[in-house]
Amino acid sequence: MLRRVLVAGGIALVLAVLVTAGIHNLRDRRAAMQQAAAQHVDLTPVASGDAADAIPPELGRDLRGKAAPDFTLTTLDGRHIQLADLKGKTVIVNFWATYCGPCRVEMPWFEEFGKKYANDKLVVLGLNYEDGVTRDDVAKAVKKTGVTYPILMADDKTAKAFGLGDYLPVTYYVDAKGEVVDQSPGAPTKDQMEATIKKAIARSQS
Amino acid sequence: MKAVARSLVAALLLAAPFAAVSAQSISLGGDNAHSAAKLQHVLLLSDAVETKVGGSQAIELRFRVEDGFHINSHHPKDELLIPTALKLESAGAVQVLSVDYPAGKPFKLPSSNDPLDVYQNEFRVMLRVAAKSPGTTELNGSLHYQACDNAACFPPRTLPVKVLLTAK
Repeated sequence: MLRRVLVAGGIALVLAVLVTAGIHNLRDRRAAMQQAAAQHVDLTPVASGDAADAIPPELGRDLRGKAAPDFTLTTLDGRHIQLADLKGKTVIVNFWATYCGPCRVEMPWFEEFGKKYANDKLVVLGLNYEDGVTRDDVAKAVKKTGVTYPILMADDKTAKAFGLGDYLPVTYYVDAKGEVVDQSPGAPTKDQMEATIKKAIARSQS
Repeated sequence: MKAVARSLVAALLLAAPFAAVSAQSISLGGDNAHSAAKLQHVLLLSDAVETKVGGSQAIELRFRVEDGFHINSHHPKDELLIPTALKLESAGAVQVLSVDYPAGKPFKLPSSNDPLDVYQNEFRVMLRVAAKSPGTTELNGSLHYQACDNAACFPPRTLPVKVLLTAK
């Protein structure tokens, strides 16, 4: 009798373990499916309208229509420049790096447009942002590009305030009130750049 | 009583594999290498190679650059650009003698007249190694590079490189 009870108990134990395993498995699968669904992204072309200009989050925070984060940084020749001091002017804030080919392609365009629209109170600031370079390295790269506008050594705090992605160049077009009119992750064409500058200047003058 | 004990042990042994299955984590997708390539923009394709014992032997490591991206060759034309460089340490009976890089291919950024010298798609780095004895040795190192697309660049990255070299 005792043997039968114990055998029945053993079988019951096996069944209990199997049921528990099944429940755990189902629970884990449901959790994994929910996680997969949450991570799923559909890459579909955007048709038109504001959504067409949407900036993917991985390319940095969208600051358009918001106040540009203020910063005080040092130029290559040791001067301090604070963004807030430039209110009343249209300011281009261009993050770049010496290793970045597209950055160095667009920098001479900023130089050209900075001079072309100087009477419209356009100011260009180049913010170098990269690890492991000295001011001399940066100065050497700047000399190659031929630009003469102020080059500032950006820090992590400033990059974080702007919400930079893992991607350069990134340019912010700031109007006279200090609001970001537009931003460009990656180098645009020269025509696109000039159109954005005109838009920012027009916003400053409105 | 012994028979009862045997029944219980048998029941537990039967149940153990199912319990183990329930404890395993579940991974959907599973293409971790592909995800790593997307993150790093470069993927090592040759993680196991064979060579002969003795003397200086050539082996080839294949890498793949993510579509739409390029990395500088080992000899970029511009001193400011970061060259692709492979470091692989000698280990055990295997000595790494030299690393030879492929020539880059010219690549022009839009709106630029100065061609870059880059690797795209698949590129192969040749190494000369000397294995003193037969067997499999794990060689470790890294590939340092910096990736860009047509309009922007990512910071320099270091891809861990692990190769199982079997000498026969």
